[in-house]
Formats: sequence, structure tokens, C-alpha cells
Amino acid sequence: MPELTIDRVTKQFKNKIAVDTVSLDLHNGVYGFLGANGAGKTTLLRMLCGVLKPTSGEIRCNGTEIRMLDGEYRCLLGYLPQDFGYYPDFTAKRYLEYLAACKAVPQYLAKEKVQEMLRLVGLEGEQKQKIKTFSGGMIRRLGIAQALLNDPEILILDEPTSGLDPKERIRFRNIISALSKGKIVILSTHIVSDVEFIADQILLMKQGCIVEQGNSREVTGSVRGKVWEYLAEPEEADRMNETFAVSNLKNEGDKVYIRIVSDTCPCEGAAPAEPGLEDVYLYYFGN
Amino acid sequence: MNEKMKKEKMESPLNEPKDCRTEHNLAETAEISDRRIQSLQEAWRFQLDESKKNRSLAVIRQAAETKQIRQYPSFRENLWNQFCFLPWKCRAAQGGMLLAAMLLAGWLNSQHADGRDSIIVCSVFLVFAGNICLSGVARLFSWHMAELEQTLYLNLKQMVCIRMLEAGILDLVILSLLAGMTGRLNSLGTGAYLLYMLVPFLWSDVLYLHMLTAFRNGAAGYRQISAGILCGLLAFFPVFFEHAYEAAYLPWWRGLGLAGAVLLAAEIYGILGKIEGGDSLCLN
Repeated sequence: MPELTIDRVTKQFKNKIAVDTVSLDLHNGVYGFLGANGAGKTTLLRMLCGVLKPTSGEIRCNGTEIRMLDGEYRCLLGYLPQDFGYYPDFTAKRYLEYLAACKAVPQYLAKEKVQEMLRLVGLEGEQKQKIKTFSGGMIRRLGIAQALLNDPEILILDEPTSGLDPKERIRFRNIISALSKGKIVILSTHIVSDVEFIADQILLMKQGCIVEQGNSREVTGSVRGKVWEYLAEPEEADRMNETFAVSNLKNEGDKVYIRIVSDTCPCEGAAPAEPGLEDVYLYYFGN
Repeated sequence: MNEKMKKEKMESPLNEPKDCRTEHNLAETAEISDRRIQSLQEAWRFQLDESKKNRSLAVIRQAAETKQIRQYPSFRENLWNQFCFLPWKCRAAQGGMLLAAMLLAGWLNSQHADGRDSIIVCSVFLVFAGNICLSGVARLFSWHMAELEQTLYLNLKQMVCIRMLEAGILDLVILSLLAGMTGRLNSLGTGAYLLYMLVPFLWSDVLYLHMLTAFRNGAAGYRQISAGILCGLLAFFPVFFEHAYEAAYLPWWRGLGLAGAVLLAAEIYGILGKIEGGDSLCLN
């Protein structure tokens, strides 16, 4: 079973530091990277895949630098990029067959694997259609299928559920949960519910750094005592919405239920509430 | 107490200092329990049939081999895979170019074409043919596939090398056809003829390969096609120099050829470097 070590990895693009001295140890399990756009998630994932070369620091797999492992490391890898590319003139089946050949899947097993993956993502009926005729959700599902094609031990998924409808998202989450045993699954997203249900470890990234890390309970625990509920008058609710980070606002009769994330009690009468992952997200990335 | 009893008493562990005695007792107890466990294990152990065990292990080994989920393809297999998965349009264009080269060479041969016109026609043809052969490489840099392909066992860098090799082989076949069938007719000799053909070819390849990674926008395919056409048109440049194919200008051609070869090598090195760094791949 592989073990990934990210050792003081930094990536700098001209004047911008996208990833800043990140160190992590990744073992079996699902790791969910949460962060706003531009937090450095995609850059870190690209470095983990070997697409980008770190400016400094090292990424090791079982103690050996991944660039030294070369093809041996890439054989363990399944990757779904954020901007998922495809050859539009290929059919879904041919596209997966092409990637199976490039992923060193044995020829006798490739056809079987391709059918298995098409079934898994519900594209079996469309396998002979050209990809250019596919909808966004279908293309995303095809992307998930190609990532799983070589039965990877390290699965890296960048925004895997963008463009999927709720049913497809739930289905995807279940697939990942079922497949995650004995694997390192790394997914990046800004959809909180994606990681809330399946991630063993949640990592919050901000400005290239990991600001919080732990399981769902630990991460939500980090903002305990900083989430407040209050029933306000409509005018007061408007004022509070402008002043504080508000994670929920709902009309309840002639009053407004307001949920606020704040270090201090926002107003007299506000009661502390049990934090959720969305509150955590808002606390760290709200500004 | 007789002598024997006295001796036993003297050797008895009880006569030893207290700590040593405890250690001795513990060691003895451990030894007894080890012996008991061993005898219990032996009592419960099944008789092993070594030949049956070996047969079973062989079956398991064979099953594990057939269940192999990865097979590292050889260089020949990689070449073949890349060739197989080129779209039919690409292959048809390459085949068409090869056929056209044969027809062109045959026609020039039948016309007893000689000199400048023949060289210009053939060199422009070679440039277009070269660019069409390189379209397999260009395809890798379009459609946002580069990032994904870089993470595969056969990664983008290796794919580029394989497709360049394939394109190079095809170019050589076309050049040999043209040189073999029309070059010998040329009064300047085959060496000079090859030089006149290769200089526009090398420079157009430099420009075409540069265009693959030079800019970043959504219209990569159109940009590449435009570059290919532009390169072909640039191959017409000797038309503007009346005496370009005269022997006096051969050193100039040699110089341009050398510079083109150096630049082409630098361009290929640069592309492979860009792939290795990854920044341009992600931006493209």
C-alpha cells in the first residue's frame, strides 16, 4: 500500500506563491481538500500527479521521490483534472481503450475493464457515441471512469462533482466510498457536502497553506463557540448580514432566523449553535 | 545427610543469592512452558504433504500471474498503440501525402522536369507533408489532453517522442521518394537537391513546433492549422531570389540548413523541457 509524503513543498509562479511550504503524510483513506478558488488546491494536486514540478520541497511515494519513480509511480495513479480534456472525435469506448493502453492495462483485461467502468458510471448505453455529443455531466462521468480504469492505488480527483446533478453526485460519493479501501483518495472541491460525507481527513487550504486539518468532528470542533443563532427583526437581520459572516438566513414568520459565524457574540440574545462544515468553511474563507 | 544429598543441597538453586534464584526459576518455568506449547503444537499439527503443497502453490502462482493487472508495454508496443489510436483522418492525410508524393515524383519524372521549378514544387510539398505528419504531435497539445496524458504510464513526453519518430520516418520516406525519383534528374546533384529540400522543411518545422506551445487560448487547433499553412507558404521564399539555386549560393544554404537543424533541436529540447516543468501544460 502506498504512502505519500509531501515534504515542505512550495510552488511559485513568477511573483505568486500558489503553494507555500506544505508538509503532509497521506496514508490509506479519503482526503478532502477544501478551499476557495485560488487557494492552491489544484496546484498541489498537479504536483502530486507529477504534472507540475515543485519550486522547492519533495513529494515521496514510499520514501522515493515521485519523479525518480517515473512510470512506476504513474502506474499507481488515477487522475481527473479540473479541466478534463478529451478527443471529441473518439467514442467513449475508444477513448477509454486509448487511455487503458497508455495506462499499461494489459490488452486482454482492457476491454473488460472498459465495460466495467462504463457500467459503473452509467455510460454503457452511450459507449458508441462520440464524446462531442455528450453533456457536461456525461463528460464528467467519463472522466471519473478513466481515472478508475487502471484500478489506481492513488486516486486524485480535482473538482470531481462539478457539473453533476445531485443524484449523480450522491452516486459518485458512493463509488468513491466503496473504492477507497486500501487506497489514497485525494479530492479537491469547494462543495462542502462532497467531503463532509466521505472524507476521513478534511484539509482546509487558504493562500497556499493548510490552515486546518482533521476529521469532520475535529474540523467542526475548531469553530465550536463561534457559531451563533438569533431570531432578528428584518431590519436588524439586514444590518447583521452586512456586518457578520452569515451562513444561513431564513424567514420565520415576521422574524428572520440568522446563523452567524463570529469569534465573539454578535449581539445580545444570540445563542451558540453546533457548528457544521459550512460554518467552518465560512469561518476560514468567509472574508 | 550423606555426601550426595549434601552436594545436591549445595547445588540447589535455593542456595544461590535471592535475585539469581528468581531468574533461574523464571527461566526454568519459561523452558517448561515452551516445551509444553511445542508438544501441544506437535500434537495438533497435521501431516504436511509437501508435494501437494507445492502443487497448490504452483496453481496459486499461476492464477496470480494470469490475474496480472499491469503489463508494462515494450517500446514496439507503445509505437504500435500510438499508431493505432491516431484518428483515421490523420492516417488518411498521411497516406494521401505519401500517395501524392509518389504521383508527383512520377509526374515530374515523366515530364523530365529539371531545375528550379521542380525543386520549389517538391520543397513546398515536403513542408506540407511534414506538417501533416507532425499533426499527430500537434493533436497532443490540443483538446486539453496534455495535462491528463502527462500522468499516464506512457506520458506526454514519451508520446511526443514516439509521434515525432513516426513523423520523421514518414518524412524520410517521402523525401527519399522525391529525391530518388527527381533528384537524380537535377543537374546540381542529389546532395545539393537534398539541401534545397531540407532547408525550408527544417525552418517550417521549427516554426510549427514553436506554435504548439507558444500561445495559450482555446483555438489551439486553428492556430496549428494556420501555422502549417503559413510554413508551406514560407517555403516559396526562394522564388523571390532568381539565383537562389545556383552553386554560388550553396554556402548560404548550408548555413541556413545548419542553423535550422540547431534551432529544430533547440525547439524539441524546449518542448520536452516545457512538458517536464509542467507550467505551460497546465496553462494550455
